[in-house]
Parts: sequence; C-alpha cells; structure tokens
Amino acid sequence: MNATSPPTNPVDGPFVRRWIRDAASDIATNRDYLTQLDAAIGDADHGINMDRGFSAMVTDLAAVDDLGPGAILIRAGGTLVNRVGGAAGPLFGSLFRDAGAELGEGRAADAEDLLRALRAGLAAVQRLGAAVEGDKTIVDAFVPALAGFEKELRNGSGLAEAAARAASAADEGARATIPMEARKGRASYLGPRSVGHQDPGATSTALLFASLARTAGRPV
Amino acid sequence: MRRGTIQSVERAARILKALGRGSARLGVTEISEQLGLAKGTAYGLLRTLEAQGMVEQDPDTDKYRLGPAMLQLGNAFLDNHELRGRSLLWADSLASRVGETVRVGVLNGSTVLIVHHVFRPDNSVQILEVGASIPWHACALGRAIVAYLSEAEIAALLADGPLVPLTGRTLVEPDELEAALIEVATRGVAVEDQEAIVGESEIAAPVFNHRGRPVGAIGVVGPVERLHRDGASSSLVTAVKETGRGLSRDMGAGRLAARG
Repeated sequence: MNATSPPTNPVDGPFVRRWIRDAASDIATNRDYLTQLDAAIGDADHGINMDRGFSAMVTDLAAVDDLGPGAILIRAGGTLVNRVGGAAGPLFGSLFRDAGAELGEGRAADAEDLLRALRAGLAAVQRLGAAVEGDKTIVDAFVPALAGFEKELRNGSGLAEAAARAASAADEGARATIPMEARKGRASYLGPRSVGHQDPGATSTALLFASLARTAGRPV
Repeated sequence: MRRGTIQSVERAARILKALGRGSARLGVTEISEQLGLAKGTAYGLLRTLEAQGMVEQDPDTDKYRLGPAMLQLGNAFLDNHELRGRSLLWADSLASRVGETVRVGVLNGSTVLIVHHVFRPDNSVQILEVGASIPWHACALGRAIVAYLSEAEIAALLADGPLVPLTGRTLVEPDELEAALIEVATRGVAVEDQEAIVGESEIAAPVFNHRGRPVGAIGVVGPVERLHRDGASSSLVTAVKETGRGLSRDMGAGRLAARG
C-alpha cells in the first residue's frame, strides 16, 4: 500500500485532517443555506447541527496527533455521532466511522483505498437509513459521486481528478433531488409537498465531496 | 356559483344538505324542484351519491335519505375535532412537564395525520408538523392507535402492504408488527426507537372516546439519547400514559376504556 501510493497527496493522516478542515470551512460558509433548505422540508436545524459537529471535529483533532487516516476518520465520526443532533449526527458520523474502519490502521492509503472506504461509508448510511437512490436523501449525491470517482480511477486518473469528478457528480446529484418526492426522513411526512426543494442531506454530501476535491487538488 | 368551484360537486353538496334538514326523505322530483335542477341531472347525482353510500333509497317509497357513509364522516369529524380541542391543554402540560416535543395524531387510512404539535420548550427553531402524514407502522402514535382497533381492522392494515421502511430499523414484517401491537396493548403505551427518523424516538399513548374506540394518540418525540437510552425512559412512559388517560377521560371514555 505504502509502496504504491501516488507521489503527491497520499491519503495519510495530514491529508484527512486537511479534508476535514476544508469540509468544516465549507459547511460553516453554507450553514445558513443548509438550514434554509432544511426549513422547507425538515426541521430547520441541519446547517446549525452540521456546523457544530464539524467545528467540534476540527477542535478535537487538533488535540491529538500522530494518527493514521483510518483512526482520524473513526475519531471524527465519533465526534459527529456524539455532538450532532437530529438524523445528521448518526448518518454522517457512521459514514466517517465506517470509512475509517475500512481504511484500517495503515499510515497511508491510496485513491483505491479511499474509494473502498467511501463505499463502506455509503453502506453505513444505507444500513441506518434504508434509503435507496431516488428517496431524496444523502444517497442521491453519494452514489453518483462514487461512480464518478471510480470511473476516473479506471481511466487511469489520480486522486485529484477522481475527487473533482466525484464533486461535480455529487453536486448534480444534490440538484437532482429538487423534483423528487421524499420517501425517507422528516421530508417524507410532507408527501408531495416535498417536491420542489433540494435535499439538505444531499447538499451537505456534495459539500463533503467538493472539499475533498479541493484538498486533493491542492499541492502538498 | 363562486369562481373556481365545480358545479356538480356543489349540486351534490346541496342535495346532501337538503336531505340533512330535519329527517327529510325526498323523491327525485322534489329534489329537482327544490334545487332548480333538471330531473335527469338530479337523478344522476343521487345515483352517484348512492354508489358512495352517502344517500340511500327507501325501498318502500323510493324516496332518498342520507346514507350510512354520512354517519361515518360525521363521527370522524366529531372525533377529530373534539380530540384536537381537548388535547391542547394536555399537550401543553405534557410538553412542559417533560421538556420535549408533543404531538397528537389521528389515523387516516394507513397514515397518522398530525393534528396538533407543541414545540419542545427550549426556544430552538422548530417547524410545525401539523398536517404531516406518517405511515402508522413506523411511528408510536400509529401503533398506539392500531393496537386497540378490532382484529379485523388490524389484519386489514397489516395486509395493506408492502409496508415501507422509513429507516433501517422500521418493523415491516406483519408478524413482527403484530407482536409489537400486542406489547402496546399490554403496556398501554407504544414505543418506537429510530423507526421513523434516524436518531429519534417516540413514546405514545392511545386516546379513547366514550365508546371505548381509539380516536387518536398523544406522544412525546425527540432525540433517542434522551428518550430511549437504555429502553424507553420510565419517567416519560409514565407521563405519556397519564396524559393519555387524562385526555381519554376528557373525551368521555369510561374507566375501562381509558385503560393502560
């Protein structure tokens, strides 16, 4: 694994820390937007909850050093589960935890490992939420993101290109939730009235992939 | 006729109102004259209403009167509105007693319609859920009501499948749900652990009317870590059960009906 890591941006501890900091900053910037989206079809706390959780992750990680990428993701996921209310805490927290567990205890991973880890994260979200594509949830941004990521790797591209492709696919996926009728989560209580609004969970997922692309595209 | 209304529906409603005055029994000719309708039109409307059970024809005199479906609608109207009106104080007092969100729901087909919602008293931004529809099997409100329906009604709801999962924990197998309903009837309270929304739990008690029928349910909903850490919080269960009993008494339920 270490031997085959690409020359730039291995998925190591510092990389995952940079990703989490970038994600926290993107979520803070979009806090009010996410809450606005949630006010239309949820309970108006998504931006606040995500912002609180991601700032807590950054603070908590600053207090520990010398962790591998898997351990950092597991720790970050635990912070989200404990600190974030609503459905977002358990869902995004399990995403990070299971992704971290998949990476294991190695000091550095590569883009293929990250893809496997993110798949494990998606599986955790689907296990908890029973959501499939088209239910107007996180899954609607996550599935196309991973498909784009994988396609780019199969074309021989590196992590930066794969993450960029995943980010644009996730963003498209999030926007594609607008005409959907929610079948999971509080939005599903509204039935047809959930149509016409972008899903906040899918939007946050797209932000996570956008920040991953930024982190991966920046020279170390 | 007002703009944006449908003429035939308005005419049908006027027929029902005419039949609803006193104990009216009216023939087709009388109805068409009273309402200024062509006889054929009145007859078509009456036949349609008859097919829906909203009017019936007296076999001896051929005259029309209101049908049994009107009684069901009337009862549903009374039950819902009485429940909503009477639940206001109980819901407020439960919310301030336990410091959590309180909702009151009625069964509407296979979903629970939220008819009253009291915010968690903590000044956080919350969105009113009145009018929301939740599948009965995924929420404690629904299970609290359904557990006290007749066996035939329960069987019909369980067979109205496939029941969809709202989370990875939602019970959807009819025999699992049946077991859950038996437990509700034994405890007098329904508990749901992250079956409607990941991270949320609900505890609800049935509300009975004077005929001992479950007309709705009242419950507390909130973060699973506060409501359901190691099983449902016993102080919340007690508060919800007491509220359900009190509200049932207000609805005219006798001691036996306000069980649990």
